Amino acid sequence: MDTQKDQSREVAQGAMIPPSLEPEMVSMDEAAGIPMPVESRKQEGLSPLKEAVQRLRKDKRAAVSLSIVLFFVLIAIIGPPIYQRIGGSYFSEIDQKAYGPQDYHNYTHQELDRQNELPSGQYWLGTDQLGRDILARMMQGVLISIVVALLVEFVNVTLGILIGVLAGFYGGWIDQLLARFADLMFAFPGLLLIILISGIFGSSADTAFSKIPFLGADGNARLILVAMGLALTAWPLMARYVRGQTLQLKEQQFIEAARTSGTKNTRIILRHIIPNLFSIVIVASTLNISGTIVGEAGISLLGLGVRPPGSSLGLMISNASQYIGVYPWEIIVPCLVLALIVISFSFLGDGLRDAFDPRSKD
Amino acid sequence: MVQFLVKRFIGLLFVVLGVTFITFVMGLNAPGDPIVSLLGQHFSPEQYRALRHVYGLDLPWWQQYATYLHNLFTFNFGLSFQYKNRAVSDILLTGVPISLELGLWAITVQVLVGVPLGIVSALRANTWVDTTNMGLMLVLFAVPIFVLGFLVQVFIVWLDQTAALEWPVAGWGHPWQYTWSDIQFRIAPILVYATAGIAYFARLSRTTMLEVLRQDYVRTARAKGLVERVVIYRHALRNAMIPIVTVIGVILGFLVTGAFFTEGIFNIPGIADITLSSINVRDYPVIQATAALLAVAVVLGNLVSDILYTLVDPRIKVE
Repeated sequence: MDTQKDQSREVAQGAMIPPSLEPEMVSMDEAAGIPMPVESRKQEGLSPLKEAVQRLRKDKRAAVSLSIVLFFVLIAIIGPPIYQRIGGSYFSEIDQKAYGPQDYHNYTHQELDRQNELPSGQYWLGTDQLGRDILARMMQGVLISIVVALLVEFVNVTLGILIGVLAGFYGGWIDQLLARFADLMFAFPGLLLIILISGIFGSSADTAFSKIPFLGADGNARLILVAMGLALTAWPLMARYVRGQTLQLKEQQFIEAARTSGTKNTRIILRHIIPNLFSIVIVASTLNISGTIVGEAGISLLGLGVRPPGSSLGLMISNASQYIGVYPWEIIVPCLVLALIVISFSFLGDGLRDAFDPRSKD
Repeated sequence: MVQFLVKRFIGLLFVVLGVTFITFVMGLNAPGDPIVSLLGQHFSPEQYRALRHVYGLDLPWWQQYATYLHNLFTFNFGLSFQYKNRAVSDILLTGVPISLELGLWAITVQVLVGVPLGIVSALRANTWVDTTNMGLMLVLFAVPIFVLGFLVQVFIVWLDQTAALEWPVAGWGHPWQYTWSDIQFRIAPILVYATAGIAYFARLSRTTMLEVLRQDYVRTARAKGLVERVVIYRHALRNAMIPIVTVIGVILGFLVTGAFFTEGIFNIPGIADITLSSINVRDYPVIQATAALLAVAVVLGNLVSDILYTLVDPRIKVE
């Protein structure tokens, strides 16, 4: 009777997070349940990690997703320097000056008599309403997405592990505090919080962060705020997963063995608990990345994230959305790129979960 | 039961207090002086002090918070900064019915489409039907709602141009009225808004259905020699519905208040749209009121699902 209740309860609580109000903050695992440690492993002499990697290799969907993700990461990093070396010089009638590819293939360069062009040899993906190269802006936008995702996951994983382990291992007031804070964060519409943070403190961030290289320059300053907001809404979920896993690990025999042989608590946590959190953290953060990328794009779309002359997929969508009827091409490109990246991350996270926890499949 | 509800209610009160406190503190520490922007370029110190007093901004912060809370519970949200002399509650009242309509329609579509898809998948688990269906659902869940929204708009514009239709690209028509033109306005935003939830419900009902199909009583029903149809629709499905029904409340709370992109893209004047435009002009009374409203909606949704939970499943007694 009790277990029945607990099981159904789990499902109901799993859905605490909004599923469909703009999917940013949510991961699909809410519905399917995040992996829990597998107690009965096959006795084949393979380590659980190697087993998981083997399973992942067989998963074609995950492999395709991984290569798409890697492709975009590669494009974002080495794409611009290559693209800026391709193409001849171009004489601009307006500026009365010749430009090389390092200029007109730069994502901030405006060529005002070449607006709204379709793909050509000079502009591989065409130009936008200010005569800027869409491919160059797209690559910069993907780079921004990756940087924000890395920032958010760094904070998310650090805070999640720290608080989650402490709450799970020691319990007590820190556990209570986590539970209350998580309740609060789950009830507070995450998107609204981020919108509030970047909307209210955005202009202060522009001046405060202007000295920071890359992140502070070219209208990117508000990204730090956006990343902070996204991390703030993400970590309670991570901490909850980590806490659950820690609770289970704590009861297992190898921890008991360590304790009886006189190992100190800190050492137990560092050597025995944290390494065993690997799979759950990897899966949860991969699934969170797609939410983060959508979140950044969404905030930039609302005009609260990256600002001109910077570029972000969300900003590109927002700029092009005013010309949907006339130049649909300009909105289709960033939309498809964003969708492709996000879907790939979701499939990858899904594949990782299946690989680490084969039981989760049904 | 009563004790449980009281306990839950206190917990939820804590959440509302937390949310209002966060928004309040943010408004308080925000850069820029709303009074200066209200008065414009030319004003005397007396005028400034007088207006500051009208908005209660000359009090210490804890007193401001106390008044704010007090006003909240009496549904008096004060005056808007942006529209002078307009009560915040007045502004909200124009948006709430629209957002409610959007949210209710969205959840209806989600349940009616998502749940059957999930059940079909569960009954054919691990066949190609299941794999394709769940793959598609994962895609639908992952596609950002604004990408979907804009692509739908591009499609509508293209249709209008090629087929000479006059299908509206944005707008909402008259709230709660259903003439043909109103329905035309509504179809695209509701479908776009519902998409991710369809995928969510499909996934959720697949999981719960599979869970139920593994139970002993299903095996017993089969062993008794019942027809498979009866086993599935009488015994399994009704039990699988329990978690789904309870989730609806929670989701509705978020749906009604969380339509930032849908309302933005389709120009629907609901509360999310009001929130966004007041953030752009830093209309703090409106921002604080909408944040409180969102929190209350979400919290009410949770409460409803708690109650539903005990009602739907008689095995569960709340202690």
